[in-house]
Amino acid sequence: MPSRRRTLLKVIILGDSGVGKTSLMNQYVNKKFSNQYKATIGADFLTKEVQFEDRLFTLQIWDTAGQERFQSLGVAFYRGADCCVLCYDVNVMKSFDNLNNWREEFLIQASPSDPENFPFVVLGNKIDVDGGNSRVVSEKKARAWCASKGNIPYFETSAKDGVNVEEAFQCIARNALKSGEEEEM
Amino acid sequence: MPSNSDSSSSSSSSTSSGEYQTPKRNSTSIDQSLDAIENQLASISMFQPDSLLESEPEPEPVPELEVSKEELVNGSVNVIEELPAKNEEGESLKASSSRVWTNASEEVEEMEAPPSPSSSGYDGGRGSSATSGIEDANDDDNDGEIVEVRSHGDSVGASDSQAPWTPGKRHGDEDDASISWRKRKKHFFILSHSGKPIYSRYGDEHKLAGFSATLQAIISFVENGGDRVKLVKAGKHQVVFLVKGPIYLVCISCTEEPYESLKCQLELLYGQMILILTKSVNRCFEKNPKFDMTPLLGGTDVVFSSLIHSFSWNPATFLHAYTCLPLAYPTRQAAGAILQDVADSGVLFAILMCRHKVISLVGAQKAALHPDDMLLLSNFVVSSESFRTSESFSPICLPRYNPMAFLYAYVHYFDLDTYLILLTTSSDAFYHLKDCRIRIENVLLKSNVLAEVQKSLLDGGMHVEDLSIESGSRSGSVSPHSSQSGLATESAERLRDTFSGVGGPAGLWHFIYRSIYLDQYVTSEFSSPINSLRQQKRLYRAYQKVYTSMHEKGIGPHKTQFRRDENYVLLCWVTQDFELYAAFDPLADKALAIKVCNRVCQWVKDVENEIFLLGASPFSWRLLSL
Repeated sequence: MPSRRRTLLKVIILGDSGVGKTSLMNQYVNKKFSNQYKATIGADFLTKEVQFEDRLFTLQIWDTAGQERFQSLGVAFYRGADCCVLCYDVNVMKSFDNLNNWREEFLIQASPSDPENFPFVVLGNKIDVDGGNSRVVSEKKARAWCASKGNIPYFETSAKDGVNVEEAFQCIARNALKSGEEEEM
Repeated sequence: MPSNSDSSSSSSSSTSSGEYQTPKRNSTSIDQSLDAIENQLASISMFQPDSLLESEPEPEPVPELEVSKEELVNGSVNVIEELPAKNEEGESLKASSSRVWTNASEEVEEMEAPPSPSSSGYDGGRGSSATSGIEDANDDDNDGEIVEVRSHGDSVGASDSQAPWTPGKRHGDEDDASISWRKRKKHFFILSHSGKPIYSRYGDEHKLAGFSATLQAIISFVENGGDRVKLVKAGKHQVVFLVKGPIYLVCISCTEEPYESLKCQLELLYGQMILILTKSVNRCFEKNPKFDMTPLLGGTDVVFSSLIHSFSWNPATFLHAYTCLPLAYPTRQAAGAILQDVADSGVLFAILMCRHKVISLVGAQKAALHPDDMLLLSNFVVSSESFRTSESFSPICLPRYNPMAFLYAYVHYFDLDTYLILLTTSSDAFYHLKDCRIRIENVLLKSNVLAEVQKSLLDGGMHVEDLSIESGSRSGSVSPHSSQSGLATESAERLRDTFSGVGGPAGLWHFIYRSIYLDQYVTSEFSSPINSLRQQKRLYRAYQKVYTSMHEKGIGPHKTQFRRDENYVLLCWVTQDFELYAAFDPLADKALAIKVCNRVCQWVKDVENEIFLLGASPFSWRLLSL
């Protein structure tokens, strides 16, 4: 048996429907992007192996459906998550306003042992749209919200162009790993 | 004790509960073939001297299955004549296997759709139907292997079904996007309630993380509705779920095994995990749902895969009984006496085994050692290579004895096959147990037990060829089997001629006898025509199926069953004291088969001293040693 110990990290992606959760995941895992919108039914699951500081670990990414009607999936999906990624569309104010609901919903359902320090990452997606002209949520505003929630790391991404996607997931993996190790002790 | 995790096996009204049905064969040709069979039977029965049927002497110590004009008359009689529907196609086996080939090649083409390399395969364009990829698989007899993946080169799936089973995880490079993985006939998964993979029979657990998540999502989704998913049928596949607190176990199988059997296999798989870790792992999940169990189970892949392999050859896995190595009564007594001696010095259980068979077994509380625990314990010992090389002291848990606590097992191999397990509650008893082992070893050598064990391994146990059909000539001993041939009477010889010298009288091929009070079973040795591993496995599966049907809740338990299909006649007989499962030539005569079953029971009774471990305390040896 190889003694190389691998860690598996469960990552949940949440956010309003249409903000680009599946696209972000596809860009990260498959380096692909499609302009066509296909609503996720329930949840999709992808895995990606990542090397980080000489250690190999596997991201088990839970891409959930944003529609209200799927919110009943609740506890089952959130249980045992190592990191939660909150996504919004920088061109849709409502999707940003809802971040707070998503975060609270997650904390209620997953009930992590240390909710104050549970690792979240926020992604503002679709910065490529219309050359940034249709943007309604400023970076400043987003960062302010993240700061108020315990300094949540924030990334502005384009799933279409692959901007910041790799970086964002690196951060997600790092935070998930950190929290996992603290709890295991 | 967390009681909630204990009750997970209780049934609930769920979508589809254990609705196994005997598969109906092609019914259109039944009448014709029935006639054909009846004709054949008629012609065969002409060879039966009437005296054979009626000259049975009345006073017999064992209960009798009665024969009256070829009809069973006692108790609830359940006669099922499944018909060889493929009979008209000539050799049904060849026909069906060639059909498999066609199906398989079509399938390969269908599945050439480009799998996204690292995705679970259920994303986007594929929709999120979890079962879409495992709709169909080939129908080869060997569920460990696949035949149709020629495109992968000859090395894959080329291994003969006769090849000995190799321990450890195979095909570890596969994941759920691999065609070969999807075609495996029988998958087993263990995962945590957060969807993290713990064990997969095939493929790399981490690469299967997405698949594992899908399974968890299905289970949790149904659970969310206040229900519980037990079985999903998808074409030929059955997906069986078992929830044990924070541990989820899933079997995906197209082997046509009954739901009850598969569920029972999942229970054993869970038991094996408990044996390694105890049920206190539940507490880790309570404290931290993210808990990753895989590091705790590191290196135990081989234990699970060995257990899963035994699901296709070891009757103990469905009989919930253990089997003994055939030994002369004094030999077993000698072994039992020294084991009893050490048991009195504070050893909880002392077990002397040869491969998966018990030589002797003694315990401070013998009754509490459940046959399932013995199966799991011996599987753990036999499959772990490290036990063979040195004496070992290892914490283990007996799930049926106390699932929450570790015991300590001292394990020592006397030779390649024979090993001793001493169980204690004390973690610092190593040196005491080592002393016990030395004492035991001395006695075993002095009394020649180890040599007798090796001899028994060579000779085997009960051979159906040795069964005499004449009630007067009793087969008095188990071995050597050749000595009995002289007792064969004229009529018996004539019977053998009818079945061209294959198997025992009246076309008896094999039997399993389970003593209910002793928790033990005995099987006959495999002999012609059940020679190949493939045939043995098929017979095993047939037994398993018929066992389930005999014990079906609701309509059972049955007392007798006579079932004829294209492969066998299976005759089952359950009484308060024993269960008998006998396999005959598919053309065997019913009345004769029943008669032979009576003979088998008598035979077992005659040699029970040698084939079973009988409960009496062996005082004789101790008196001698004093």
